Amino acid sequence: MISLPSYLFISFLLFVAGMFVMIARKNIVAILLGIELILNSAALNFVAYTKFVNNNLDGHIMSLFIIVIAAAEAAVGLAIVIRFYQLRESVHIDDATQLQS
Amino acid sequence: MDYSFSNVALIALLPFFAFVINAFIVKKFTKLAVTISCLAIFSSFLLACRIFKDVVFDVYSSEFYVHKYFNWIDISSATIPFKINMGIYIDNMTAIMLLMVTGVATLIHVFSTYYMHDDARFGRFFVYMSLFTSAMLGLVLSDNLLSVFIFWELMGFCSYSLIGFYYEKEGAGNASMKAFMTTRVGDVFFLVGILAIWNIVGSVSFVDIYAALSQGKFAHDIMIFGLGIPVATFAAFSIFMGTIGKSAQFPLQVWLPDAMFGPTPCSALIHAATMVAAGVYLSLRMFPLMEAGHLLTFIAYIGAITAFGAATIALVQTDIKAVLAYSTISQLGYMVLGVGVGAYNASFMHLITHAVFKACLFLAAGSVIHSLHDHHTHEHVQEMPRMGGLRKKLPFTFIAMMCCTLAISGIPFFSGFVSKDRILGDALLAALHHKVMWVPAVLGFAAAFLTAFYMFRMMFLTFFGEPRDKELYEHMHEEHLQLNSNVPLLILSIFTLGVFYSGSLTGQGFIKVFKGNYEWFGTLVEKPHVANFQDHKRQLWTMDSSVDREEFKHSRYDEKHGKTEEEAHHVHQVHLIGALMSIVIAFSGVFLSFLMYGKKSLNPAFWTGLFSGWYRGLLNKYYFDTFYIKVVIQKMLLPLNNFLAFIDMGIYDRYAIDGWENVNRWFYTVAKWFDNLVVDTVAVDGTGASVRLFNVVLRTLQSGKIQFYFIMIILVLSSYIWAIGSN
Repeated sequence: MISLPSYLFISFLLFVAGMFVMIARKNIVAILLGIELILNSAALNFVAYTKFVNNNLDGHIMSLFIIVIAAAEAAVGLAIVIRFYQLRESVHIDDATQLQS
Repeated sequence: MDYSFSNVALIALLPFFAFVINAFIVKKFTKLAVTISCLAIFSSFLLACRIFKDVVFDVYSSEFYVHKYFNWIDISSATIPFKINMGIYIDNMTAIMLLMVTGVATLIHVFSTYYMHDDARFGRFFVYMSLFTSAMLGLVLSDNLLSVFIFWELMGFCSYSLIGFYYEKEGAGNASMKAFMTTRVGDVFFLVGILAIWNIVGSVSFVDIYAALSQGKFAHDIMIFGLGIPVATFAAFSIFMGTIGKSAQFPLQVWLPDAMFGPTPCSALIHAATMVAAGVYLSLRMFPLMEAGHLLTFIAYIGAITAFGAATIALVQTDIKAVLAYSTISQLGYMVLGVGVGAYNASFMHLITHAVFKACLFLAAGSVIHSLHDHHTHEHVQEMPRMGGLRKKLPFTFIAMMCCTLAISGIPFFSGFVSKDRILGDALLAALHHKVMWVPAVLGFAAAFLTAFYMFRMMFLTFFGEPRDKELYEHMHEEHLQLNSNVPLLILSIFTLGVFYSGSLTGQGFIKVFKGNYEWFGTLVEKPHVANFQDHKRQLWTMDSSVDREEFKHSRYDEKHGKTEEEAHHVHQVHLIGALMSIVIAFSGVFLSFLMYGKKSLNPAFWTGLFSGWYRGLLNKYYFDTFYIKVVIQKMLLPLNNFLAFIDMGIYDRYAIDGWENVNRWFYTVAKWFDNLVVDTVAVDGTGASVRLFNVVLRTLQSGKIQFYFIMIILVLSSYIWAIGSN
């Protein structure tokens, strides 16, 4: 029987992988992928907890929301990346330091 | 009538309002200012007439008084009461005094419009006169010594300003300062007396002082320089010193002759009729205290010495105003003598009669001076040797001056006889009772002789004989009856008749003109009976309060209510002797004067040659001025001044002021060091440096690199979680 810790462990692995991608990779598209991984780990957590603790549909609905938000976020993020590429001819994260000032 | 605020206070306030208004408009609207002054004093006169009518014609009680007060200062704490009340005290004396002051002041204001109209400072004169009149009326209305003192000083200031009115004239400034400083000597004593009374009674109101006297609060002694002095004597002496200063008594008489530098109407009002009489008025108000302090003999001596000494100096004066000035001092001496011998009523009557005839004499002298204009020096002539024979050109002035001279000389049927004779009669009576009083009595009679002599000398030199300065005489204008020049003189000269003051023409009841209340003055003015003030009636002074008139008994001299007048008037045989003596003395004085200056059968130069030492002494005013300058000022005050200057400059300036400077300089050095090092370097620059440091650190944190931010977030969150978990 697959137990709750197994789900949480998978979710943790996904989260750490996403975080690692966000920190380590310099490509903005890759960072967006890392964000997706983190969001999915959160969604997996919701589903796991609602299955083993609540026994209702709250977690499922929440994970559906997360999927929708992730899609929207990816759309917006990729749009920004494309626009950024048009401006700088680069998708390197160290070129995007306008937040400094 | 009721003695409400609007009825009584306006008497003093109207001239004060005139003063305030005129002080602002006098430069531009001189005519208007003069009109305002005259109207104000005339309105006061009408109000005073109402009070006089109520007191004398309606109430007619010797014990009538109204005392109303309001609280002026109240800073009492729970343990120490400190309250000063102000108010009015109206009795018969106040009512008569009010009528006299306002009446004389009105006439003098009217005369001033004639006398001063050529003057460059025509308006300013009226400003001062209004202030003076209001102060004098305030003094008369006052119910306590403190407000008396305040008005007293105000009058002193006005006197100062008016003596120095012609400040271009050499000596006028010095004279005004002399007057101010000499009276200040007396005023300091007066203030000490007020404080002494305040200390004993706890109030300076007249009625409270009377009540305290009747309760025997003045019985104990105080120690001064190891001597036990009765407090009553101390307080009475201090207050009497005020009188000496203000009324120009010996030994502080030196200022009054110099005060003649002022314009003549101001001399008439201030230095003859009212201000100098205020000193005597104060003595009369404080009479029970003087009596309790056993000071009367001293007062009688002072008065008699003044009366006689000033009369002798007047004999040799050639300036017409100087003669009148010394005559004023002499007559004030009579009043003080009257106080000293207990002739309360006669002394006050002499104050009133003297005010009328001396004001008139001064105005007449002013009229003479004004009409004598020297075309070479462009000055008015005051010297009697240049006058003579003026009666043809100045007939109305002559009539007025003659009436007043007769009055002051003590010729029967005139007011001066009535009042002066009573003083002398009482002095004689006192001399019979106490041997020590013989000296004042004899001096009084001698001064009466001298008065008659020098006044008629002045008349003969001025109005009779041939004009001695022909050119001056030719340039004079003939006098015509004019509303503002000689009508005031004639009005005043009417009131030199004795019948206005006493129904018996001779003042001693020889001949009675009126049946009934023929002695109104004598019956109404009485020594205050201090026992009556034990439970005195106090009333708050409000806008609409009335006094219950029925409370007062009618005068005990009133035939219908008490003793008969004969009994009450108390005509002593001595008075008859005194009256006869003074008649003889007055006529012999006039006769001697006639022989010397009228008929010229006796040559004055012979007599002055015979008594040349005395003559020089008199010309130099008994060397009083010399004494004060040489001894008091140069030998005593100047060293004191130098000593004080040494303390001030040598010690205080040098050590206190300069020492303080050094202390400050040291503080300045320390403060400068502290400022530079601590405040500037550490605080101000240190703040800047620390901000710069944080700037370097924080700037590196805000790199703008998303991944760096993310790492920081993760670090912070994990440390937070770790912290929670480890807990």
